[in-house]
Amino acid sequence: MADSSVERLASVLVGYSANVQPGELVTIEGPLVATPLILEVYREVLRAGGQPLPKLKLPREAEILYAEASDVQLDWVDPSFLGINEKADVRIIVDADTNTKSLSNVEPARQARRSRAREASRNRYLERAAAGELKWVLTAYPTAAAAQDAEMSLAEYEDFVYGAGKLFETDPVAAWREFSKHAFAAKAFLEGVRELRIVAEGTDLTLSVEGRTWEPSVGKENFPDGEVFTAPIETKVDGTIRFTYPAVFQGREVNDLELRFEGGEVVDSSASHGLEFLREMIAMDDGAKRLGEFAFGLNDGIDRFTRNILFDEKIGGTVHFALGTSYPETGGLNRSGLHWDIICDLRTRSEVYADGEVVYRDGKFLPGVL
Amino acid sequence: MRDPRLDRLGELIAGYSLDLQPGEVVRIEGDEVAEDLLYALYRAALRRGANAYLHVGLERLAELKLAEGTDEQLAYVSQLEWDDLEQLDAVATVWGERNTRNFTNAEPERFGRFLSARRELSKRGWERIAAGDLRWCGTLAPVEAYAQDAEMSLEEYEDFVFGACHVSGDGDPVAHWRGVTAEISRHATRLEQVRELRVVGPDTDLTLGVAGRKWQVADGKSNMPDGEVFTSPLETATTGEIRFGFPGVFEGREVADVHLRFEEGRVVGSEASRGADFLARLLQMDDGAAVLGEMAFGLNYEIDRFTRNILFDEKIGGTIHVALGSSFAELGGLNDSKLHWDLICDLRADGEVYADGELVWKQGRFLDG
Repeated sequence: MADSSVERLASVLVGYSANVQPGELVTIEGPLVATPLILEVYREVLRAGGQPLPKLKLPREAEILYAEASDVQLDWVDPSFLGINEKADVRIIVDADTNTKSLSNVEPARQARRSRAREASRNRYLERAAAGELKWVLTAYPTAAAAQDAEMSLAEYEDFVYGAGKLFETDPVAAWREFSKHAFAAKAFLEGVRELRIVAEGTDLTLSVEGRTWEPSVGKENFPDGEVFTAPIETKVDGTIRFTYPAVFQGREVNDLELRFEGGEVVDSSASHGLEFLREMIAMDDGAKRLGEFAFGLNDGIDRFTRNILFDEKIGGTVHFALGTSYPETGGLNRSGLHWDIICDLRTRSEVYADGEVVYRDGKFLPGVL
Repeated sequence: MRDPRLDRLGELIAGYSLDLQPGEVVRIEGDEVAEDLLYALYRAALRRGANAYLHVGLERLAELKLAEGTDEQLAYVSQLEWDDLEQLDAVATVWGERNTRNFTNAEPERFGRFLSARRELSKRGWERIAAGDLRWCGTLAPVEAYAQDAEMSLEEYEDFVFGACHVSGDGDPVAHWRGVTAEISRHATRLEQVRELRVVGPDTDLTLGVAGRKWQVADGKSNMPDGEVFTSPLETATTGEIRFGFPGVFEGREVADVHLRFEEGRVVGSEASRGADFLARLLQMDDGAAVLGEMAFGLNYEIDRFTRNILFDEKIGGTIHVALGSSFAELGGLNDSKLHWDLICDLRADGEVYADGELVWKQGRFLDG
């Protein structure tokens, strides 16, 4: 008997998030450890009349590739990955790890090389998504490894994950529709703003967002969800930011990271740990040292840092920035093999100014703003 | 601790069987239960410089589709799968299952619909193989379900599988298989001079025409393990009777004590102690289903017992097998059918084969060694 939370998750993913229609080609991509969810999603896709195409990953696949592959082999992209981004109508991607640190000892330059090789295909997928030709949703299946990173038991972590997805509500879809109103109000307000200034301890950063589109994330493309994001103007980011949480990318952590921007580019960086990895990553290509995303986290069901970006970037009361590629639907122009989200907690002694006026304090938009 | 035999098997298939070259595109496909062998093959393919990727299946997904899919969903093969196939230089298929009887109770009509769609895809694969554009090797992972069918413990079964592939000892597996090539090629050369074969054994006296047909040397390139020499007999010449000492297994179903009588190439009488209805249905599947598409000698003497798995059973040293249904066009065969069902006749204890009247095989061995 499958866990009923898994069934509810599958049903919301297929019915609400991806909104699968008869005849659509739906890839279900995920690692073997997520089998219980993959099976339920597959069943729901069949019931919705879609054509499910599973793409399973084995836990040690990536590790073997990095251990054995030459540069030429790292640069090669397998035809099934290219085909999915070109032809799928829907991608349902399940993130789950048996060991979140299995790639910790891989040379960062090799990881960067692999990311770069897949960039063109990834951009194609983002373009098709922006054009409405491809629907996608990224979700997480709770595993012991993720629970360990979150410093919880598996049972506690499962509650956290399904709670963040509003799956314990009587009607989870209704709860997401309700949340949607709040996120759309934030979009409406932010699209009238030209410049944002973030002020907190160690942080004073100004970004221009003039003319950009703000995207409310309401459980369609990420699940769980809860943010509103845009791409800042590529050349208009200035000042300093101190990230309160570790910056985690592909299983590696950079601690106490501070970045200084001038004219949109990172001009200085410091960290207590992992600085070399950061510098390798932002040297990947021209777009890697610019911001591709700025966002407000709005999910109050996510109240703590768990070292999983899908959750962390939505912590209610935080903002996050991504180095690297932007989402075309925001109007962002930055392109890169990198997209690295880094989070800054604004829940204490923090303010956000919109065109010079305080609109957000200590993790909340001020009353009357939205 | 990794079983070193898995690595040796991976290297044997990537190196000897598929002869992977730098830059070639190879798909390594199999179910998750075969994980360890998939890793070994992936590693070996990467070490040879090939552009390798894994294509991993999960048998419960197929079960779900059979249980819940509409007719349209059952018959669906995505364009992505067709596109992938065209780009491949080589494929390694690893068979592995968690339960070999998963589909025993599937509705035959639905199951047929499901399989025939996949068959179209594999037909295209065979076309590319025949044209020399694609190389393929099928192998098997020693898993619990197969051990159970073979009536062995997993450890015993691993020894059996790795032994049949010659990757167990310190010897050089590639040297072994090159020796097999030389030996079987000798048999094939001789058999190509033969016009008529007569197989004699318990309840068996069957005459087959093979004049002008080519014999294929199965020496570990397309299957691992391997060890047989086979042809497609003349479609209208098979006459007489044959009893199969081992059960016939088709898609997980067994037919016991199959006895067939042929006239002018076609089955004219069939009996079985169990599964006779199923047998009759298979024979009526289409016009070519009651005609032999294959006749072969099993020559792998490391495979010394029946294990309910055709990859091994058809190579049991000292047996012959015939297949009802589709034949091999590249060997001169003309029979067309959706069926290809191998049935095995044990000649080890009491059997003889005559080639144009001359005794050439006795008690499971060619007389010329």
